[in-house]
Amino acid sequence: MTVANRTSFVDVRGKKTQLMVGGQGPPLLYLHSAAGETDWTAWHDALGQRFTVYAPAHPGFALSEGLDEIDDIHDLAWHCVDLLSVLGLERVPVVGFSLGGWLAVELAILRPALVSHLVLIDAAGLHLDESPMEELFIDDLDRLRRLIFHNPDHPAAANFFPSSRTDPRLLMWLRAREATARVAWNPYLHDPKLPRHLHRVGCPTLIVWGDDDRLIPSAHGAYYAEHIPGARLELLPSCGHMAPFEATAECAALVQGFLHQPSAG
Amino acid sequence: MQFFCFHLMPWDRLPDDFASHYDSAWTWLPNQLFDPAHGQTLYNRYLDELILAEELGFDGACINEHHQNAYGLMPSPNLMGAILARQTKRIKIAVVGNALPLYNPPTRVAEEFAMIDVMSGGRLIAGMVVGGGPEYYSFTLNPTFARSMYTEALDLVLRAWTEPGPFAHHGKHWRLKYVNPWPRPLQQPHPPIWIPGAGSKETIDFVAQRRYSYMGIPYFHIDFFQRNFDGFREACQKNGYTGSPSQLGWLVPIYVAENDEQAWREFEPHLTYFRRNLLKGLTIFPPGYTSVRSMARIHGALDKFLANVETRRDIEAGAYAIVGSPATVRDRLKEHSQRLGVGNLLGLFQLGTLPAELTRKNMWMFAKEVMPQLRGQ
Repeated sequence: MTVANRTSFVDVRGKKTQLMVGGQGPPLLYLHSAAGETDWTAWHDALGQRFTVYAPAHPGFALSEGLDEIDDIHDLAWHCVDLLSVLGLERVPVVGFSLGGWLAVELAILRPALVSHLVLIDAAGLHLDESPMEELFIDDLDRLRRLIFHNPDHPAAANFFPSSRTDPRLLMWLRAREATARVAWNPYLHDPKLPRHLHRVGCPTLIVWGDDDRLIPSAHGAYYAEHIPGARLELLPSCGHMAPFEATAECAALVQGFLHQPSAG
Repeated sequence: MQFFCFHLMPWDRLPDDFASHYDSAWTWLPNQLFDPAHGQTLYNRYLDELILAEELGFDGACINEHHQNAYGLMPSPNLMGAILARQTKRIKIAVVGNALPLYNPPTRVAEEFAMIDVMSGGRLIAGMVVGGGPEYYSFTLNPTFARSMYTEALDLVLRAWTEPGPFAHHGKHWRLKYVNPWPRPLQQPHPPIWIPGAGSKETIDFVAQRRYSYMGIPYFHIDFFQRNFDGFREACQKNGYTGSPSQLGWLVPIYVAENDEQAWREFEPHLTYFRRNLLKGLTIFPPGYTSVRSMARIHGALDKFLANVETRRDIEAGAYAIVGSPATVRDRLKEHSQRLGVGNLLGLFQLGTLPAELTRKNMWMFAKEVMPQLRGQ
């Protein structure tokens, strides 16, 4: 069943920000990945069964503006602080996937009072010498598909990117790439200072990882689980980096179980 | 018309199985394939070819900057420029250019270019480029800042040349308390500025607005040059002046031999090596390197890019390279340069595996049997 959702624009300290809101229940902030999943998908819908999902597009993604004022991940985290203020939300559960997971943990460090629960799914943010991340910034879309999906023939894989240079999704895809590169080119998809701050995360934290994530190896999940106080790691079998899309039901069940929301029936 | 001899200084010994075994001649191509002993031969041979250009009556020599690749072995064109400053007496030394964002701080460009200009007696043409897409991978330099770094660096270099130092620079990317480069350039107020471009509208407008010169980057269909040069002239009009042919340069591979058939027979295998191997991976556009709109436009033009053009007929039709007898080359160059409205012809007389003797014969025939007739234009 598809829950009601709508997309509008909010002004966040001068940045026009695209915001999709849908579902029913208490609020939940969803921070999207580098792929820029800013349209309502089955994954948003699964979360929306129990929560009112707030899914903003980060500056430079979709029709959100203001990338000129973003130089690094911390500027992006401050933008989230401002956004929550505009929405009048605090102590909300925050679910972040990949780039969004990195952003979520930076937010929880910066403004602990805004985050009630933290869910990191195949999150960027760390560099581990022994488990380096693969190259995300490649132009070969088929290679990229094989990199981030355990099963590149999964129906979700076909829907994710433009398939050719004439695909109408190309412009939005190029925007998403640019906005990702802005904060993640160098240092590559991580914040060298993040490890020394992970002890500051004070809220309950769930970490979810595809056990076959070839972009960000699951060792990164183990590192987060070890260094964020009380965090728990759940590995999803036969699942790649795109866990919310390859294993939508499993991811949603883990999030719902963690947030203790009883089924509405 | 001014005639320049442009050299890329390519690696000419990629393995025969290159096309099937390697994704790119750039950034990731294992540097174990570079043989330093052969490198010694190549560098000296290529420099000799540029020095020959002076003897043959060319107006200038062009060199450029690329990193971690087999396409062009000049990570530091300023080293080559310094050698040419000493080993030539007359010709312009066009370094087109220094990739400004790769110099930290970019006042290094003001310093090194001024050295070449002073040593050569004021023969430098100062090219300033953003750097190719692959460079942003090779340096792990954030491509989304490429344009703003470039603009800030270019203004800083110009200011360092024209404003008495020391002065302070407070920019977004560099903060320098004491800008005061020694030496200053010999040419006053500063050496001519050439800016190569691949067709992005931002660059064309910028060059026109500053009244610098715009060099069209090669390997695209002639119609693509025409559109860009027409766009440049329009941009000059918008800025209140009529663009001069001397503000435009056409960079194109040229091969002259005794007759058309011989020219193609001699040149084609080397052109093929260049197209299939050295161009592989050049057209990579890292995110944010140019505006999304320009990127979509360049993506659209890639079907008409030399690497994707196979036959002699298509190469001739698109003027991707000018190949033939002296008469053929003369006629084609005359026809195209008049239509394009360019005052500078930048010829690539060595390409890919083209060996020394054919390169010298090509340059010699061009200088004796093509250049004089075109000079009168």
